[in-house]
Amino acid sequence: MVAAVTRRFGDLDIAEEAAAEAFAAAVGRWPTDGVPPNPGAWLTTTANRKAVDRIRRENKRDDKQKEAQMLYNVDPPEPLGAIEDERLRLIFICCHPALAMETRVALTLRMVAGLTVPEIARAFLVQETAMGQRITRAKAKIKAARIPYRVPSAEDLPARVTGVLAVLFLVFNEGYLATGPGTDPVRHDLTAEAIRLTRLIRGLIPQDGEAAGLLALMLLTEARRTARVSASGELVTLVEQDRGKWDVALIAEGHQLVRERLAARVAPGRYQILAAINAVHTSARDARDTDWRQVVALYDQLTRIDPSPVVALNRAIAIAELDGPEVALAVIDRLEDKLAGYHAYHAARADLLRRLGRGQKSRAAYDKAIELAGNTAETAYLTRRRDQLG
Amino acid sequence: MQYLFSVIDDTAGLATPKEEAAIDVFNERLQAEGHWVFAGGLGAPISATVIDNRGEEPMFTDGPFLESKEYLAGFWIIEAADLDVALKLAAEGSKACNRKVEVRPFL
Repeated sequence: MVAAVTRRFGDLDIAEEAAAEAFAAAVGRWPTDGVPPNPGAWLTTTANRKAVDRIRRENKRDDKQKEAQMLYNVDPPEPLGAIEDERLRLIFICCHPALAMETRVALTLRMVAGLTVPEIARAFLVQETAMGQRITRAKAKIKAARIPYRVPSAEDLPARVTGVLAVLFLVFNEGYLATGPGTDPVRHDLTAEAIRLTRLIRGLIPQDGEAAGLLALMLLTEARRTARVSASGELVTLVEQDRGKWDVALIAEGHQLVRERLAARVAPGRYQILAAINAVHTSARDARDTDWRQVVALYDQLTRIDPSPVVALNRAIAIAELDGPEVALAVIDRLEDKLAGYHAYHAARADLLRRLGRGQKSRAAYDKAIELAGNTAETAYLTRRRDQLG
Repeated sequence: MQYLFSVIDDTAGLATPKEEAAIDVFNERLQAEGHWVFAGGLGAPISATVIDNRGEEPMFTDGPFLESKEYLAGFWIIEAADLDVALKLAAEGSKACNRKVEVRPFL
């Protein structure tokens, strides 16, 4: 609804407030008048009317002409699927390259996923007022610089989609490993929204390998969601998860996408390789059956296009399964300069040291990992592991 | 909608003949496609004078209002339907003049 009103009025603030007013009106009227035959259309119409009222009230001299235009420019009834188009337009405006990356994520969460400012502020560990200002500034820039509210042209689409996928991946990751002491360790609302939006993008450009790859990656990760946190609220590692709890339908869909990308015979990008790694994991009925050689080979491939320390860390974790913890530890220790502030680096090190029987060093690494971890379930898991050391 | 493209420079030199030729090609394109409003290159910051006549007497200060390594070397004012069009043109302008370009909308 916000999307539909934004398109008509070209102003996110007015659209947002009008939508809120329409909901308030519905709450007031539906219990007595009964729910209208098409509640969605009723809300959109009401929101449009509220937006016109609002513009009238603001009574801006320069906007007079525009206002008149809008009053008489009644859109023809929209065909089915128009709402999806609106969502796409909203995604592209929120993920515009003229906005800073963290602003894009915040704006997408606010405008597309409908999270509140306090929720977004908590997800990013910033003050509510700071997050509110960031979103207000972004809206002001969209308006003043006239960032267009449309799906980019075919020629610009691939470049713009890359930026959108990056935002959606961040939204998904925030949902899958939520930060902050007050949130659920896994935020299904965020992961589900990220998947839904990625499906939309994939529908827009079905031939794009990375859109398919990201969707597959999300599905194969989401499939393990219910097995990921124990009844006592602890993170359960991939190797220790009850694989019977995995969602077979999501895995089947993810595997199908990965197979499609393999059949395309086009050099895969980052998301496609990560999806393939997850396909290997989800193909093993038992953790012991995991084809670690294949996992390491895929990380080698990923390293060639993304030689970042985080990729090197994940590759080393796979190396530990193939060549043993000693070899992996030597690789990981070389990453200290770059990853000393990253909790996963210390957690991986602690685990390897534990397996090598170096209790004291392992404990110190667990301490560091616990200090840096932001996810409550992960903190609980790491704490138990540390306390189990002899 | 009009946008200001500020050319940001951090070198002392003027545009090379090759850069000037590329700028000419870009300008002709702006004119042919109806984006052109105005453009110009500016003298070095050392040639600037700042005037403040908010008080009783006008004050003249030698030099630019801001001392910094980067300075405004020139500008375009262009007409574009929206920021996407403006950003595309600015990318070409930056390539042509071989310098950074800042895009800002006029009110």
